Amino acid sequence: MNRKILLVDDDIVQLKLFERLLTSNGYSCKLALSVDEAEAFLMTEVPDLIISDYQMPIKNGFDFRKRLLESDQFKNIPFLFLTAINDENYIQQGLDLKAIDYISKGTPSAHILSKIDNLMQSVREHYERSLSEIKGIAEKLHLRNTPKRAPLLKNFSIHYFNQSYQNQPGGDFIDFIQINERHTFIILGDVMGKKWGAWFFSFSFLSYIRSAIRLCVYDGNFSLSEILSKLNLVIHSDEILGDIFSTLSIVLIDDIDLKVHYAGAGDLPLLKYEHGKNALRSYQSDGILLGFSEESNFNEMEIELNDNEELYLISDGMIDFEVNGVKKSDLNMLKEKLYKLKKSGKTTLDIKNNLFNKHTSQVDDCSIIILNRVKR
Amino acid sequence: MNINKRKIKDVLLITIEESEANLSKSEQFKELMLQEINLGERQLIVSFAHVDYVDSSFLGALVATLKSLLPLNGKLVLIEMNADIENLFQLTRLDKIFTVKNTLETALTEF
Repeated sequence: MNRKILLVDDDIVQLKLFERLLTSNGYSCKLALSVDEAEAFLMTEVPDLIISDYQMPIKNGFDFRKRLLESDQFKNIPFLFLTAINDENYIQQGLDLKAIDYISKGTPSAHILSKIDNLMQSVREHYERSLSEIKGIAEKLHLRNTPKRAPLLKNFSIHYFNQSYQNQPGGDFIDFIQINERHTFIILGDVMGKKWGAWFFSFSFLSYIRSAIRLCVYDGNFSLSEILSKLNLVIHSDEILGDIFSTLSIVLIDDIDLKVHYAGAGDLPLLKYEHGKNALRSYQSDGILLGFSEESNFNEMEIELNDNEELYLISDGMIDFEVNGVKKSDLNMLKEKLYKLKKSGKTTLDIKNNLFNKHTSQVDDCSIIILNRVKR
Repeated sequence: MNINKRKIKDVLLITIEESEANLSKSEQFKELMLQEINLGERQLIVSFAHVDYVDSSFLGALVATLKSLLPLNGKLVLIEMNADIENLFQLTRLDKIFTVKNTLETALTEF
């Protein structure tokens, strides 16, 4: 992925020279001829690095830097000053404003490039270290929003795959709740959002879901409609989750009577590969997003699952594609892809490898749970 | 994020001037909408005429806006969505929550 650099200078020739140097070395650049232009760009996108001249009319580079430091959103973007003046006072003034370094306009291209490469590498390493530390702490606290393994059932097999977006935790969550030898719940949810914020709230939703299922089951209630209704009520009344919303697909497997029940809230349809049919079948639930409305109905349906048939629970990232640089959400594209893979006799692992191919452009967290009957 | 605001009598029309309505814009969009509601706006139309793709963060921001507006007897109508976005709304039942119309003219008749 190209690192994006915002270049700010009132000298268009200087900007173009820098742009040529950086783009020919794998960076993508956005040019701004003034602080106002730079700030307008920042309203639309956050770059990986800002390089700004000191001396510009109206607002100079120092003013720009001071304004960035006042913003929580922008103050941590790595910042380099660009200067034509090798004046110690100017340089010191820039460094005092927490600029990482400065580049003199007379510096040879190779040196400029090395400086920027080293800086970007160092920022990346720092980020990776922090991410690794947080992941380590989460692991120690048993904070996982996907389980370590799927339960082993007599008559069904469950496989699941989750891939986070840009190697950061996200809002998709998966759980399996095995009540006894007969009943197992499959949970797939997606907190509306991305990255850390969604990841954090996924634990709140998971806790409520686990509690609602356990409490209902404790009373002998296995109705998915009722479990979802109660779950929706408590989430609706939770002030912290007031403007956080999650989808949920919930499947109950009866491993003795060989039945599968499904209900959902704002989720994408459950997909089924049926032997002898020429397309995947969709089962669409009618529940709306968890917590949006106090009074919500969640229908429950029984789904027949025979030998050679397969069910797919998916999160919305699975239907997001990037085609010719344009992102789109397209369920039919996924259905056709899955159908062809299954029809051609691909194994579950082949299907997973194909869907999560590193060459496939991923634009969100992606999760899929595959459920099929064990042949006896 | 880039938006365009236009007042049509008591209705505020907000046009999203972005091809991707995603995470980098969702928080700002939500703040902007809540700000308008705090300033007294109760009848809102959001146009997706220039939007190709909406991610779940942005959908979350829209839902949060609507949830704030409903207790105030406000109304939010979404218009000019492309086929993919409209289909996503139907697939996830967001069309049950939101009023979705094709054009500004039909949206204005909702108020």
